This record gives sequence, C-alpha cells and structure tokens, in this order.
Amino acid sequence: MAFQLWSPALHRRLFRRNVTDAVATELDFHLAMLEHDLVRRGVHPDEARHLAAARFNNLANIAAECRSIGHQTERTMRRTLHLQEFVDDIRFTVRQLLKAPGFAIIAVLTLALGIGATTVIFSAVDAVLLRRFAIAHPERTVFVNEFFKGQDGNVSAGIYLDWAAMTRSFSALTAEGFRTFNLTTPDAPERVFGGTVTADFFPALGVAPLRGRVFTAAEDQPGNDGVVVLGEELWRSHYGADPGLIGRTVLLDGEVRTVIGIMPAGFDPTTSQEQLWVPVAFDAARRAQHDEHYLTVVGVLKPGVTMQQAQRDMDGVARTEHQRFPKEANGAHVIGLVDFLTAQYRTPLMLLQGAVLLVLLIACGNVANLQLARSSSRAREMAIRAAIGAGRGRIVRQLLTENLLLALLAAALALGLAQLGIGALRANAPTGIPRIDQVHIGWTVAAFAVGAAAFSALLAGLMPALQLSRRDLQGTLRESGRQNQGTIRDRVRTALIVAEVALALPVLIGAGLLLRSAMHLQHVDPGFDLDGVVMARVLLPAGSPEQHVLAAERVVDDLSHRPGVVSAAMTSQAPMGPGGTSNGLLAEGRPFSQENLVQSRLRLVTTGYLQTMKLRLKQGRWFTDQDVAGAPRVMVISEAVAKQMFPGETPIGKRVGCCEPNVYKTVIGVMANVRSDGPAQDIVPEFYLPLAQAPADAWGWIGNIMSVTVRGATPDPAPATSAIRAAVRSVMPAAPVYRITTMRDALSATIAVDHFNTVLLVALGAIGMLLAAIGIYGVVGYFVTLRTHEIGIRMALGATGEQVLRLLAWQGLVPIVIGLLIGSGLAVWSARLLQASLYGVSAHDPATYAAVTAVLLLAGILATVAPARRAARVDPVRALQ
Amino acid sequence: MTPGSKDRLRGTLDVLILKTLTWGPRHGYAIARWLEDTTGDSLTIEEGSLYPALYRMEQRAWIESEWGTSELGRQAKFYKLTPAGRKQLRLETAEWRAFVDVVSRVLQPES
Repeated sequence: MAFQLWSPALHRRLFRRNVTDAVATELDFHLAMLEHDLVRRGVHPDEARHLAAARFNNLANIAAECRSIGHQTERTMRRTLHLQEFVDDIRFTVRQLLKAPGFAIIAVLTLALGIGATTVIFSAVDAVLLRRFAIAHPERTVFVNEFFKGQDGNVSAGIYLDWAAMTRSFSALTAEGFRTFNLTTPDAPERVFGGTVTADFFPALGVAPLRGRVFTAAEDQPGNDGVVVLGEELWRSHYGADPGLIGRTVLLDGEVRTVIGIMPAGFDPTTSQEQLWVPVAFDAARRAQHDEHYLTVVGVLKPGVTMQQAQRDMDGVARTEHQRFPKEANGAHVIGLVDFLTAQYRTPLMLLQGAVLLVLLIACGNVANLQLARSSSRAREMAIRAAIGAGRGRIVRQLLTENLLLALLAAALALGLAQLGIGALRANAPTGIPRIDQVHIGWTVAAFAVGAAAFSALLAGLMPALQLSRRDLQGTLRESGRQNQGTIRDRVRTALIVAEVALALPVLIGAGLLLRSAMHLQHVDPGFDLDGVVMARVLLPAGSPEQHVLAAERVVDDLSHRPGVVSAAMTSQAPMGPGGTSNGLLAEGRPFSQENLVQSRLRLVTTGYLQTMKLRLKQGRWFTDQDVAGAPRVMVISEAVAKQMFPGETPIGKRVGCCEPNVYKTVIGVMANVRSDGPAQDIVPEFYLPLAQAPADAWGWIGNIMSVTVRGATPDPAPATSAIRAAVRSVMPAAPVYRITTMRDALSATIAVDHFNTVLLVALGAIGMLLAAIGIYGVVGYFVTLRTHEIGIRMALGATGEQVLRLLAWQGLVPIVIGLLIGSGLAVWSARLLQASLYGVSAHDPATYAAVTAVLLLAGILATVAPARRAARVDPVRALQ
Repeated sequence: MTPGSKDRLRGTLDVLILKTLTWGPRHGYAIARWLEDTTGDSLTIEEGSLYPALYRMEQRAWIESEWGTSELGRQAKFYKLTPAGRKQLRLETAEWRAFVDVVSRVLQPES
C-alpha cells in the first residue's frame, strides 16, 4: 500500500474533496475490487460485475447514509477548525501585546475611558427612559390636568368627581392630593410627605402592596378612613421593617390611623416621593368645592382607547363642566404619564448620550492611530505571515481579534470605571429625575458596554487591518523592515486628525454654551438679597386665625432678641420654598372674566419680611404695625402684577379684589419682581398681604404651615438655624420645624438639573479635547519621526530650526483647521437641541463659538508644536547617518 | 434475530473494525476481506453495512481517513486508528471479556 505523509489536518485542508464525490469514489472502488478478485478467481468479467453488484444490498441507501454522516462530520470539523484558529489568534495576540505592553496599556486605557463614560450615561438613559415604569400599564396611564391659558394645572375635588362621572374613556380615573403630615414618633414630632388617594388609586396602577392590603372603597369615606399605607422606606427607617406593624396604629396629625399595608420600595408612580398614603375621603363640602385646584388626576385608558380619543372625550366633558361652573372649570388636558415625567429629561439625556458617543469615537480614533503607528513596525511580520500562506481574510481576522481582545479588556476596566461613575452620578444627581436612584449596572448596561467595546474594536481596527493586509508583500520584504512612507497611510492619519477635531468641537461648544448659561444664571437678579438668609417650615398648632397670627408674631419677636439674628419674619411661602397658593386678582370696577383676572402668587407676611429679605420697594410704602385686623385692608403688588393690571398707570391707591368675596384692598406699594422659582424660571406675578389681615380662608389654603425667614449676622447659617429651632420651641413646644435650608442652597436646588448637565458636558468636553490633543500629538510626532532624514537634509542645506518648525506645524495645522470648520458645522446643527436648556444665551452664540474654537485650536497648536520642536532640534549629522 | 441483537451486532462490527485497523491503515475493501477471512463463515457481515459504520466512526474521531493510491492504481480511502479509537478498542475489549466471563460462569455446569 502506498501512503503519503500522515498529517491529516493539513492534508485534509489541502486535498479537501466534496463528500458526495468521496462516497461515490469509495464505493466504486469497493465494487471494482470485488470484481477484480472474482475475475482473478476465474469468474467471467460480465458475470463478475453482476455478482459484485449483488453482494451490495441497496447500494443507493448505503451511499445516502454515508453522505449524510459525512456531511455532519465535515461541518463539525469546520467549526473546530475555526475555533482552533480563533484560539491561535488569541494566543498570538496575547504574545504580541505582551511584547508591546505600552501600546496595549495606552489603547486599553483610552478605550476604557471612552466606553466607561458612554456606559455611565447609558445607565442613566436606561434607568430614566428605557426601563419600563413599574406600573401595570405604563403606556395607558395618563395624567388628566386642568388646562387654562396654555398651562396645565391641578384639579379640584368637585371637578374631578364630575369628570369621573361623565367620561367614558378610562377604566379608572383616580386622584391624589399631596401634603405633609405630622407623624408622632417616640423621638419628636416629624413631618412626612404623603398622598391622599382615592380607593382605586393602587388597583389602577396595578402595584400590589409588599405586605398587608390597600384601601377599600368603604375606607374612602369620611369617618371610616382611619387607615394608612406606608412606603417601604418609611417602614424601614422608622419601624425597622417590622412585619408586625400591620394592624397597629400610628398618630398622624394627631389622629389615630391603623397601618393596613406597606407599598414596595421604589413605588413612586408620579415621582412625588410620598412616604405614606391615606384615603382622600372627600366629605360633602369637599365634593361641592370646585375652586380649590389641588388634586393630581391619574387615569388609565380603557384598552383600545387612544390618547387622542381620550382628549376629545375630555374636551366634551370639560365643556359641559365649564357651562355648569363658568368661573371654576376650565379645559382638560390628557397627557401620558411616562411622557410627562420624562419629557424634561429626555433631550438633555439624549444630548449627553450623543456627546459621550462622540468622545468614544475620538477614543477609537486614537486607538486606530496607535494601531497605524504599530503597523509600520509590524509590516514585515504581516508580509511573512502572508508569504507562508495566510490569506488576507485570515490576517484581517487576526488583527480584529487583537482589537477585540483589547476592547474586551477595556470593557472590563470600563465597567469598573462606570461603577465609580454611577456612584458619583447617584450621589450628585438632582432630585426629581424619575428613577435616577435606580441607576445601576444591570444586564442591559453590561451588554451595552460589551457592545460598545465590540463596536470600538471594529471601528478602531478595521481600517488599519485592511491597510496592513493590502500592503505589497515583496516590496515590504525587500525593504527589510525599513519604514515605508506610504502616502495612503499619511492621508488616513491626517483624516483622523480632521475627524477627531470635528467630533470634539460640538461637545466643547455644547459645554461652552451651558457654561455661559450657568454664568448667566449666576447673574440673574433674584429681586432680593438672598445671602445670609435661612428659612424653615413650621406647622402652627391648630387654633383660630387670631391665635395663628399671635403665634407667628411671637416667634418673630423671640427671634429678633436672639444673638446672630439681624432680622426675622414669617411668610406663607418663601422664595424657592415649598407651599404657596395663588389667587385671581381683579381690579375694582372691571367686569369678572378670565381675561381680567390676574393669577398671582399670594404671600402672607409679617412686617419684618421686607427688611429680612432686603426686597426693593419700587413705589409707595410697605406694611407697618398699623396694618392690622380692623384697619383698612391693604396690599403690595409686584411689578409684574402692576404691569399686567395697570399698564401705564400708577397702581398706588387703586383697589383690587381678591381672596374673599366683595372685599377690596388698597394697593399701597409696588415691589420689585422676585425670581421665586429660581433664576432659570420666568417671573410670576405676586402680591403681599399683611399676615394680620390674612383672609380667614387663607389658613386652610396654606394648611397652617408658615415659613420662618431669618437674616443672620454671619455667613455661617448655624447660629440662625439654632435660633429658629429655639424660638419655635419656646413659643410652640410641639410644633415641628423642618426643611431648614439657606436661601442660597434652595436657589442652587432649583437649577440643580441644569448644573448637573453642565458639569457632565464640561467633563465630557474636556475628555474629548484631551483625547483629540493626544491624537494630534501622536500623528504629528509620527510625521516628525518619518521626516527626520529629510529634516536633516534641509538643515544641512541651511534651513533654520524655525523654518523646520513652521514646515511641520503647517502639516499638523491644516487638518486641525479643516476639522474645526467641519466641527463648527456639526455644532451649529446639533446645538439647537440644547436651546431648551440654555438661559440668556442663544444656541448659536457667536462669542461662545469663537472662544471654544480658539481653545481647541490652541490645544491643537500645542499638540503640534511639541513634537515639531523636537524636529527643529534635529542634529543633521546624526539624522543623515 | 431477536430485538437488541442488531445493536449488539453493530457494536461488534465497530470493535472488529477497530481491531482490524490495529495492524495499520487500510481501505474499506481490505477491511471487509480481513473480516471475512478471520471470522470465516461464523459471522456474516453484509458488504454494504461496513461503510456507514466507517463513516460513523470517523465522525466519532475513532478513525481518520485519507486518500491514497491502491494496489490497482486507483484512488482509495485509507482508514487509520486514532488515539481515541485505540482507547475505545481497549474499552470495548475489556467489556467483551467481562461480558463473556459472566455469561460463561453462568452457563458452566457446577463442578
């Protein structure tokens, strides 16, 4: 028998034949041999053929069976072979990377930075926008708001009940009111924030209690409503997650309520952060009340009902209601719950995601650049591999494997970085962003990081890989390792600079615009002097209006004698503070109509308020101790009210109706506008009434809660804070003091989201610029190395260092300038998305564009000049050797 | 044949082929002839059933094949035992011995 050398794997690859052929050939051979043997034994050839065939029962079946098994074997082998090649690639790659650890470390760090940043932002996008809201039908759950003069507002009990009776679009229409409760605990009275809800609130949202049960319809009746459902957080923090709490009673606002259930952690469908819920239990008076708009109405659409159909239905319902209650009832607005809660954060988050992807692309550009730098030294290795028979596909595959390995290492590191980043994000995230506290690295986020890594590997590796594999074999081998000056490769490098600069510029311009906006907000006039002011909420004990006024005045008086207090006042609502009500103002003599009413925010104040806040009185006088109950009724209006109500007239002495039927108050002063909702928000019309003349109903509107404001003697808020606690304790020992904050902190909280976005985008811009500068440095440095020989000749022929510097700087600068041009185009296009987040600066603010472009250009010049200077110091003698 | 004896036969065929190949690589026809010669008429193996068995064993990597030139100058496929095949043969041989031992002990008249 004749045998070739036995190397089955190689042999099989070289002489692979198709299975069908092989089976046929093999069986043919068998038949031929049978025949041959028979003939040798003296059988006649014709006879022999016949006999041979007869020995095979069912030749066709046997052939088919063999073919089927053979095909299976072939497939398995091919898989094994690919796997083997992959393992070989990995092993080879690890060896290669260990040979150049510097390259590997820089590439992995660069990618990890890019992927890590991308992953952090994505984790926020995932938690806030992508993950399904934890309610039964997020896509069918809506808010139904009252709609008046283009504004969404809360709904009164009477209107809510009428709506619920008339509408046909909802499988449930529920309502929730919000207020703070006095929770009596062993330590001290405490204020907790809670919701008053209709009985169908929990069933409609479809979230089951963690323990116990929720309200029955019978418990949603006055007199029968002595029950409470606690949130998991309150249950854990105040009752040690004691399961035995169910059935026990707690004291809420002095009333005994039985705890019947615990809602699971994270149950916060409206992003309101309630800690407990009680039945709303409307009484007859409440049911008849159409003018106190305080309920948040949450509806669940019937299956198959669209948002538009529900809106049309509610339009009809609201019209009917308006005819019945022309003064109180307005339009209705149906808006998706998820949309409503996330709309504000969608654009900023998407912008950040876009920005961070640009940064990732820059990182990829840098890694591609590193690959190219390495490729010149690896050209010979590739040529040898090609020469001994590696196909181009195989080489590309090996190079991509190399990148994949780098990227996966980077992804692992990036997830670690992202964990840190997410920690920082959660610690610093402003409140109010739905579900931001649930940001974590879950499967989706991990998969995203790995996906980003694979994408980066492909992007950063494909171009250099194709280039390497395309290179002319013989040429490279002949050059015996000398670096060849491939002009194509130089063009690719130049293009990389252009791309990196073009990608970095929009991110930086976005960051610049947000910074300008933040600077603008710093300089917005709040209308008063907020530095040194401390405020706190205090709940007055139940009592008559006279007692309330007396209590408030005694606290102020007590405070004014305490050290560290310059002046003190009480108000129903402090700027940037919670609470507050608004009323329609009507100038005397004007007919009642929605157009003539000026909705304004009410501030009930003690006389020291002007001095404490350092408000600026524009006209007339402020309240004095003579403006008491029984004296002529007076009010001070803000400039915004004056402008709307008395344009071109002097408002002093005019009479205005508000807050109580048929009572007019004389305007005695005009106050400079106050940015009560923070510098980023529009000015709202406001008016002031002396606390001593407060309308009787007002105490109900504000729930007997006042704000104490104190101007301290020192910037340190501590003395003022302890003075407030001490004063309230001495006047009303049982009254809880809560939400103590400086006015400055309260203002910062109003712009926390903007601030957060700004910090993130500025950080991203800085990373992007740094990466781009590193990229430019690398490329120019490469050019310098490449041209050392040429520079040597030039200098030997008399060129000065300065000329050489200029020559090389030019080579680096042209792509930077092209990149800046393209980048500013991208920035103009993308910045308009930022407009909604900008205050006092246009998305196309030329100064910002010019400044940011100059900064990036400067960074580019520095990155160019540093390596170019090295060239200018070249010693011609050594360069030419 | 009783049910089950077909499986036994297939297993037997496998082990016999493996045994055949211990003397070196050979092609299908040679294996068939060797089996015929050694077992004589006591074990009739269908000419065709040999090939599916060979393909199956190649799939299990007990044997490998390669194309070569036969004594007639024709293309023929030669089979060779792999280390895995050798191991399988040892295993099956041991099992056979154990089986035969047990059966013979049962059948042997008490002495």
